[in-house]
Amino acid sequence: MAATTEEDEQERTEESAPKPAPRQRGRGRIAMAVSVFGELLITAGLVLGLFVVYSLWWTNVIADREAKKQGNRVRDHWEAKGPGALNTKDGIGFLHVPSMSGGEILVTKGTNTKTLNHGVAGYYTDPIKSALPQDEKGNFTLAAHRDGHGAKFHKIDKIDEGDPIVFESRDKWYVYKVYKTLPETSKYNVRVLDPVPKESGAKHADRYITLTTCTPVFTSKYRYVVWGKLERVEKVDNERTPPPELD
Amino acid sequence: MYGWIWRHLPGNAWVKALLSLLLVLMVVYVLFQYVFPWAEPLLPFNDVTVDGQ
Repeated sequence: MAATTEEDEQERTEESAPKPAPRQRGRGRIAMAVSVFGELLITAGLVLGLFVVYSLWWTNVIADREAKKQGNRVRDHWEAKGPGALNTKDGIGFLHVPSMSGGEILVTKGTNTKTLNHGVAGYYTDPIKSALPQDEKGNFTLAAHRDGHGAKFHKIDKIDEGDPIVFESRDKWYVYKVYKTLPETSKYNVRVLDPVPKESGAKHADRYITLTTCTPVFTSKYRYVVWGKLERVEKVDNERTPPPELD
Repeated sequence: MYGWIWRHLPGNAWVKALLSLLLVLMVVYVLFQYVFPWAEPLLPFNDVTVDGQ
């Protein structure tokens, strides 16, 4: 008994005493490799976490700032009433969807990534060219981000049939009424953009509006589509009083 | 890896901590400004349009 305790004691003192450097090289190298690997995994986790922060928060900050700047330029053009008034490079007007809230959404030409990343809704030029609200007949087709980059259509699922969608141009309010929503469709389904979108039950040429974005949230697996039909057009007065739908 | 960086930073613990913080901020900046904008279109999270392709 006494002998073993003594031995234990000896071992313990040896263990606790700081060794100069008698580390086994092989084991040290493996331990090092494992710790570097572990640190790389932690780093990867942090980077992925940061990517989530980037896509769901930072891109919104950037896009909202850009959209605001561009929107202000459009309103300035409108007020100037000079030759700049017809300049639509910065946008053709604003979309108001009370059931989706979140204020006005600037509408600009084109639906490529760069355009939409400015926190706007773009009207399609491809694969099926969108009509414009002032056109006699046709389908005004729009796309915007569901998440990140302004996430202007984030709450598209809150839009119900019967809800108003209002498009504000320089001198007209175009009041549309939603008559059909399609919560899930293939991303290849370009027919939803047809001038007469048959899938919505439309049969005759009329003045339609179509909103498209991705679904489910945070992914791009399918597309969410909302269709509306023009109800009436109101002239914008001097105070730009919004139509009753927006109160 | 991080231990190696820590050992190679100059100064006392406070200076090291400050320098580490700067390094972290630099890395985050590079990620947000260059890496993520580059990587994002390659990932299938944000395609919102319908198209034929």
